[in-house]
Amino acid sequence: MTMASAPARSQNRSALKRAFERYPFLPALIILVVLMVLNGWFQPRSLSLSGVTGLIKTYLALMFLAVAQTYVIYAGDIDLSAGAIVSLVNVVIVAVMTALGGDGLSVMAALAVGIATGLACGLVNGLVVAALRLQAIVATFATSIFFTGLALYIQPVAGTPAPAAFWRTYGGRILEIPFVFYAVVAFAILLVVLVRTRLSLRLLAVGDGQQEAYQSGLPVTAIRMGGYALCGVFAALAAFCITGDTASGDPLVGGKMTLFSVAAVVLGGSALAGGYGTVVGSMIGALIIGFINSLVFFVGTPSEWQNLVQGLAILLALMAGVLVGRRARA
Amino acid sequence: MSDSAPATTSTPVSTRVAGFVKQPLIVALILIAALLLLGEALSPGFASGQQIMRLLIVAALLGIVAAGQNLVILGGREGIDLSVGGVVSLSAIIAGNLMAGENSGIPLAILGCIATGALFGLFNGIGVTLLRIPPLVMTLGMLGVLQGLLVVIRQGIPSGRASPGLANFVSQPFLFGIPGILWLWIAIGLVMAFLLGRTVFGHRIYAIGSNEQAAFMAGVPVKAVRIALFVLSGIFAAIAGICLLGYSGSSFANVGEQYMLPSIIAVVFGGTPLSGGKGGYTGTMAGALLLVILQSILVTINIDESGRQMVFGITLLVLMLFYGRGRSMRA
Amino acid sequence: MIKLKLNGVSKAYGATKALSQANLDIEAGEVHVLMGSNGSGKSTLSKIVAGSVKPDSGEILLDGQPITITGPQSARSHGIAIFYQELSLAAHRTVAENISLANLPSRAGILVDQETLEERAQHYVTLFDGVTGDGFSLDAVIQDLRADQRQLVEIMKTLSTEASVIIFDEATSALDRAQVDRFFEILRTLKQQGRSIIFISHRMDEIFAIGDRVTIIRDGKIVGTKRIADTNPAEIITMMVGSHDEAGAKPAGHSAPTGAVASALSVQNLTGRGFKDISFTVRKGEILGFGGLHGQGQSAVLRALFGAIPPTSGKIDLDGKPLDPANPRQTIRHGVAYVSGDRAREGVITGRPILENVMPIHYLRDRMKLAHPVVSAGKALPALQALRTKFAGLGFPISSLSGGNQQKVVIARWLIDRPAVLLLDDPTKGIDLSAKTDLFALIRKLAEEGMGIVLYASEDAELLDNADRILVFNGGSIRRELTGAERTRYNLYQAAYEAA
Repeated sequence: MTMASAPARSQNRSALKRAFERYPFLPALIILVVLMVLNGWFQPRSLSLSGVTGLIKTYLALMFLAVAQTYVIYAGDIDLSAGAIVSLVNVVIVAVMTALGGDGLSVMAALAVGIATGLACGLVNGLVVAALRLQAIVATFATSIFFTGLALYIQPVAGTPAPAAFWRTYGGRILEIPFVFYAVVAFAILLVVLVRTRLSLRLLAVGDGQQEAYQSGLPVTAIRMGGYALCGVFAALAAFCITGDTASGDPLVGGKMTLFSVAAVVLGGSALAGGYGTVVGSMIGALIIGFINSLVFFVGTPSEWQNLVQGLAILLALMAGVLVGRRARA
Repeated sequence: MSDSAPATTSTPVSTRVAGFVKQPLIVALILIAALLLLGEALSPGFASGQQIMRLLIVAALLGIVAAGQNLVILGGREGIDLSVGGVVSLSAIIAGNLMAGENSGIPLAILGCIATGALFGLFNGIGVTLLRIPPLVMTLGMLGVLQGLLVVIRQGIPSGRASPGLANFVSQPFLFGIPGILWLWIAIGLVMAFLLGRTVFGHRIYAIGSNEQAAFMAGVPVKAVRIALFVLSGIFAAIAGICLLGYSGSSFANVGEQYMLPSIIAVVFGGTPLSGGKGGYTGTMAGALLLVILQSILVTINIDESGRQMVFGITLLVLMLFYGRGRSMRA
Repeated sequence: MIKLKLNGVSKAYGATKALSQANLDIEAGEVHVLMGSNGSGKSTLSKIVAGSVKPDSGEILLDGQPITITGPQSARSHGIAIFYQELSLAAHRTVAENISLANLPSRAGILVDQETLEERAQHYVTLFDGVTGDGFSLDAVIQDLRADQRQLVEIMKTLSTEASVIIFDEATSALDRAQVDRFFEILRTLKQQGRSIIFISHRMDEIFAIGDRVTIIRDGKIVGTKRIADTNPAEIITMMVGSHDEAGAKPAGHSAPTGAVASALSVQNLTGRGFKDISFTVRKGEILGFGGLHGQGQSAVLRALFGAIPPTSGKIDLDGKPLDPANPRQTIRHGVAYVSGDRAREGVITGRPILENVMPIHYLRDRMKLAHPVVSAGKALPALQALRTKFAGLGFPISSLSGGNQQKVVIARWLIDRPAVLLLDDPTKGIDLSAKTDLFALIRKLAEEGMGIVLYASEDAELLDNADRILVFNGGSIRRELTGAERTRYNLYQAAYEAA
């Protein structure tokens, strides 16, 4: 057996590595830009103001939910009930708004109740996963059934319309600028603040190694619960967007979103094992899913093939993201 | 028994009983019996022979999917297969189209479905081992592909129907008054017991699941075993898809999705933790039955869907507490 | 003034007594050294004080008051901090973040106060100005740092607690001379501030450079405490060794094979991560010992020979034929056997029956497909009996056995089909005396039957009693070969400690 010694690593490579380390969403950003260019190529109108507004209106909820999921994944956990929380908050706020008369004040009250609901759901998840130490995947699946039951209790069938004051605002414009852009800016500011919180940093530290974090003196259980609580709050925000977009209450509206939120987080370059990732990446991941879906439409894929092409594109993007991310950091 | 070694001294009966009761299989069986009694109390006739037979058929469908899920989870390293639901649906459609209501089409349907299931399992396995994509991500992505494929197939080819033979096999008495699907389930149970207990492959599954590094150091071909587990998971899901077609008569949209997470719960309730390496299929069979009976009781009692779901969710959480919690961080 | 006092503190892991009835006084303003060989109980003692291990019994007094430590957070609040030997850093976080991880400065209660975070980190980084090396900065990510730099971060992290009792558990193992010197200057300052330092190290020169008192631990028991000024290395070594077999190596009770015997394994210029230019030959029938301090490349060489980690260059011949150690399957098929001392991680297949733990090598070498319990038992029993393994039945889980018997089961794996070379990587770590005796009796017998054996043992007595020749490792290379009468405990310690 004779082997050549390994070649020395070049300087360029380590600069690239550093960039990837600091901005784990770089591969996702590149994919997003390529998708946007392709979208513009096949359908120039898709990059117009109304085109982008429409896309954001539709995918803002997934962006919020992806961010929600990111906070639990930071710590190496997972929340399969995120979509069910969206459903629950959706029917709760529609019910509260309707009950209070549907004017501006009632909308505000409903949103407050919605946030509280999301927070409570998150705390329940944190309790069963972090405090009772049940396995996150199955435990949050069980809570998702419970949350769905609650949603069905509040509103057994889909279709209760949301008050016009709510969805008109969401779909409308303020000073000629679509409302969703304000929402995006507020979202961005919120995230910038959250990135700087102690909780965010501590969640990542727990994800890097629970035992090490515990030995360093971090309150690991409380931190993981904090992650779930944050997840619940962001799921509530996602529910607000979905309510604005669909203008109605639907006790099952979020169910399908859970797995997409996990996919968006991974697409955004975060590690499922925890300890590594960014919320910006998850937002980009959600947008990638949106742009893939619209691109598949714009290139004129026959309608029955659209889902398959979307599925394949997302799978490939997931694999590419994991592989590129690992290569770049290795 | 080694003659050089003294047998362990007899343990007190009470501890032995306590140990026995802690066996997940026993826990599941006790819970099953309790639930049947509860069901009978709530709605007389719940535990009648005919009714139990129906429950068993439904449990068999879930149990067959859970066999593959069980193998993947046993193999450890966060093994999980979220794509089983998609494979079940796809297999049901392929089987329906290939047999088109004729008994003569059954062999081809079985062959076609198993090949399809194996192929998707192979993709999953390769992604997970050679490309080192986390199983959750890989199989989640694959689920999306399968769902897309379902749309293509459903719209391109007229929806197929189960042949009379297949329908009878699933729901009519086949031998000694027991439907064929239950014989199939029993056979799968035996095959799994043999595979896990009496083959080198089975021992290697446990080895990689319980301590992958030690297994590697003891010469276990870790990657090959893991790929095989995903292939088997695809095959079991495909078999379940064929049976599901027989159960429902014709294939319809996303019929398999209802099996994705319940198959995982059945495995956990059967005593195989998600971390892998221990447990077995006998427990999973009981776990599947437990889950089906629980759902069935909730249907019997007179509350609406929302209450049912809430009770179901809470019951699942309480049951999980029976199956052991994670370890505390302080040594 | 006594700052910290331990009264009769004990801890057992299953049957193994990690620490029994430990009594210890730590004064304010002293550097108190703990010494003892690997597994003697130093780390257990440290972790009990630091809260991450729960003692079975005993009492801890701080400033004369009994305290209850419920976890690392609670220890911290009592002003006790620890440098973890295995480090407790978050790999994807920056240097600055890691330094303050447990005590993040905040603004408005929830935000990380980035400025204070960096200022504080800068303060501790500045203490090591000039010795931190290339690529070290406040915003460097831990996983990009070298081993010595990570160790410095863990030191800074420990210092940043400003605790009054600080434990340094092998804090200098990866540091170079300049870094150690700087670290010692800092320790002296801490001492002047009246803080108590518990210092664990294997390097004799360091202990005499920084220590005030030294306490020696052997087999979980405290042997004694000395003033550094009143003692010398020889006395400390004697205390660590135990007086009963002070005389050194027993004369080998057998004739070591001579040059004429064919070689079982020959290695030339093997280089890889953690070792370089390793060359040696093991003759058939010989037990070759690897000695030296822990982690000087002994394990890495054995693992590379087994195919578990890739060497970068070198040449290996097994029974005169070239061997490519691509992976363990390959080397096992060619007749290489490897037993790891890290039983829990690399040996036992946890929770599985004894039988399944014995069989995997035979499955592989015999290319078996079915595992018939009776046939398997017929193979497994003689192998287990050869080691005098005590077990209730082959179907019992391996976890039901004591550590020593578990290790016997792992070794029995290799006895069904005889390998040509047996690599033993600290095989007796944490197992009891009688199991050790059985094990070495078997190893000698295997050697007499013509097997070539390489033995790395962290316990020097084992090497001296069993190895026919000893290669002393240091810094990834072989520094000295001890043969015949040179194989004395004193020579071994001297070679290992002095060179360090």
